[in-house]
Amino acid sequence: MKIILIRPAFGLAAVALMFYGLSAGPQEKMVPIQIELPKPMFIGTPANLRVPNLEKPLGKPRPPFLAPEGTLNLALGKPVTSTDDYPIIGELEMITDGDKDAADGSYVELGPFLQHVTIDLGQPSEIFALVVWHFHKQPLVYFDFVIQIAGDPDFTQHAVVIYNNDYDDTAQLGAGTDNNYVETAEGRLVDAKGHIGRYVRLYSNGNTSNDLNHYIEVEIYGRPAE
Amino acid sequence: MSDKKSPAPDPASGNPASRDPASRSSEPRIIGRSEFIRTSATVVGGLLLVPKSLPGSPRTGRPGNDLNIALLGTGAQGQVLLSSILKIPAVRVTAVCDIWTAYNQRRVSRLLQKYGHEHRTYEDYREMLAKESDLDAVIIATPDFWHEAHTVDALAAGLDVYCEKEMSNTLEGARNMARAAKKAGRLLQIGHQRRSNPRYQHCYEKLIRDAGLFGRFTTVNGQWNRSVQPDLGWPKKAVIDKAVLKKYGYDDMHQFRNWRWFKGLGGGPVVDLGSHQIDIYNWFLDAPPSSVSAVGGTDYYEPRTHQWYDNVQALYEYKTAQGTVRAFYQVITTNRNGGYFEIFMGDQGTLEISESAGRGSLYREDHAPLWDHWVKKGYLKSPQEEATPAGAILDVRETLAPAAYSLPFEMTEPYHKPHLENFFDAIRGKAELNCPAEIGYETAVTVLKANDAVASGRNLAFKPADFRI
Repeated sequence: MKIILIRPAFGLAAVALMFYGLSAGPQEKMVPIQIELPKPMFIGTPANLRVPNLEKPLGKPRPPFLAPEGTLNLALGKPVTSTDDYPIIGELEMITDGDKDAADGSYVELGPFLQHVTIDLGQPSEIFALVVWHFHKQPLVYFDFVIQIAGDPDFTQHAVVIYNNDYDDTAQLGAGTDNNYVETAEGRLVDAKGHIGRYVRLYSNGNTSNDLNHYIEVEIYGRPAE
Repeated sequence: MSDKKSPAPDPASGNPASRDPASRSSEPRIIGRSEFIRTSATVVGGLLLVPKSLPGSPRTGRPGNDLNIALLGTGAQGQVLLSSILKIPAVRVTAVCDIWTAYNQRRVSRLLQKYGHEHRTYEDYREMLAKESDLDAVIIATPDFWHEAHTVDALAAGLDVYCEKEMSNTLEGARNMARAAKKAGRLLQIGHQRRSNPRYQHCYEKLIRDAGLFGRFTTVNGQWNRSVQPDLGWPKKAVIDKAVLKKYGYDDMHQFRNWRWFKGLGGGPVVDLGSHQIDIYNWFLDAPPSSVSAVGGTDYYEPRTHQWYDNVQALYEYKTAQGTVRAFYQVITTNRNGGYFEIFMGDQGTLEISESAGRGSLYREDHAPLWDHWVKKGYLKSPQEEATPAGAILDVRETLAPAAYSLPFEMTEPYHKPHLENFFDAIRGKAELNCPAEIGYETAVTVLKANDAVASGRNLAFKPADFRI
């Protein structure tokens, strides 16, 4: 059991929350999760990419991520809510519709500045990994990318931060130490370390091209919690 | 790009000011405004044109020199420009026009709502020009074959115009645009945005003209290498009616979305990409070219849907005041290696420059005078010392790599923002255009001829008269 401090969204007072960091048992068979990747499609004039803490591209395919056998994408078809329920283009349902293409009609564009989307998995789940495709049609970097998992929609129960690249705490969610990275068709895989939660929330705060926020797809690999 | 990101988060910022549905008809829609103010109009040449002011007269006297602009063309490039416009103070987007009302127009309209820009939406630009009585300028980001009509009509309506490159897909069209600007006494800025990029301006004004750092230019080399790309698609729920497509010059949705590849609509990769860079050749060499040879073809993609060449290798010859310069340019669409850059090689040094913020190096020839004076003057930065790896062996059969000097500052803004700011400052009478119609025309003559050279298989000469409007 660990104790972690997180500051809930939008400047509320910091609270101490407890969560259980669970992982697969030692006797379980671990297998690579099967991630179907979309076609790469960089087009257009590249954006100005001067970003602090920018991770160097791996230059080769991401190594397989192992999870207990039977792990599935729990997010597929699950409901999504957002701070922007009137997207600029696309619908929130696109985030969990299984379509990872970067073409027009396959992504949702949310309003400027800090926004978040929340996926309700429908039941408490043991989550091993997230894979996030913001937008891979251009080599963009999304700022203040923060992922939280919690047991309730207000993110007050068993809430945990599993990724945070907001190094200067612009989003006022607490400063993070994870890297900025360039979006690619491979998506960003984040190790969720078996944390249990029903709700997954993803923040972002614009990108290197504009102030807007995009999602093509979010996959959440896990299994229902026992 | 700024060191980091957006203003302090505002939880309400993402919430729309209103829920006006997207326009799906040609009727103008008032977005975020309770009343559509109509004013008197005059019928000119079959169009309802609202004369804003006499040619060359002062702009409207709004507080703080605020400008009202229309965005004509809300596709990918229009959205790129809008991203910069939204960061420029005292500029309001009050009208938006695009024929793809169910997607791109809707997208930009909603974006403007998020930023609090009250605006109206149109499908037909003529209707917009007729009904919008309080515009100062139009930003045109439509397909190349529409640039002439859109620009000429906007100028005739008394508006200043920023038109994306290529100025036109035909020289006749580009010439008509330049003449229309002169006749109307209005501004016409062509979207070669490197002309306003402070890094490029520094290279030209300080390093080339003032310091003469590179000596006599003899050779130029540039490229834009891009990976294989699938054709652009479209959401099936947002198909444009066939009659509307036909009205605006498209056979079908595929052609509408992929117009850049079609003859009669665009100019292909050497125009879409090369134009930006070949424009720099003319600028930095202070001369238009005297001839061009080129090879190329549609060798990789389906020729039926990719009528323009998917690769071009062109060789321009320039007769400059200092002597002959040969300038190679390559565009390919099957491999991104090396990216995009321009290299100017003189007998005393080399300038390697790119719009990409991460590239910009200068190399001194060994026999050239030292550059210390220019370093002290702030024109360039000294090479950074690099430690020699332990056990490194220098292969004396190869030329020793010269030390790389660098430019003294970085470009930290979106690439198009300075060029748009230059345009808006020119409207306010505070600046001269960095790329007026005459320059845009010269570049169009230079670039469109590369396609002609591929088609003819011959070396084509430019006459001085070719560059005169």
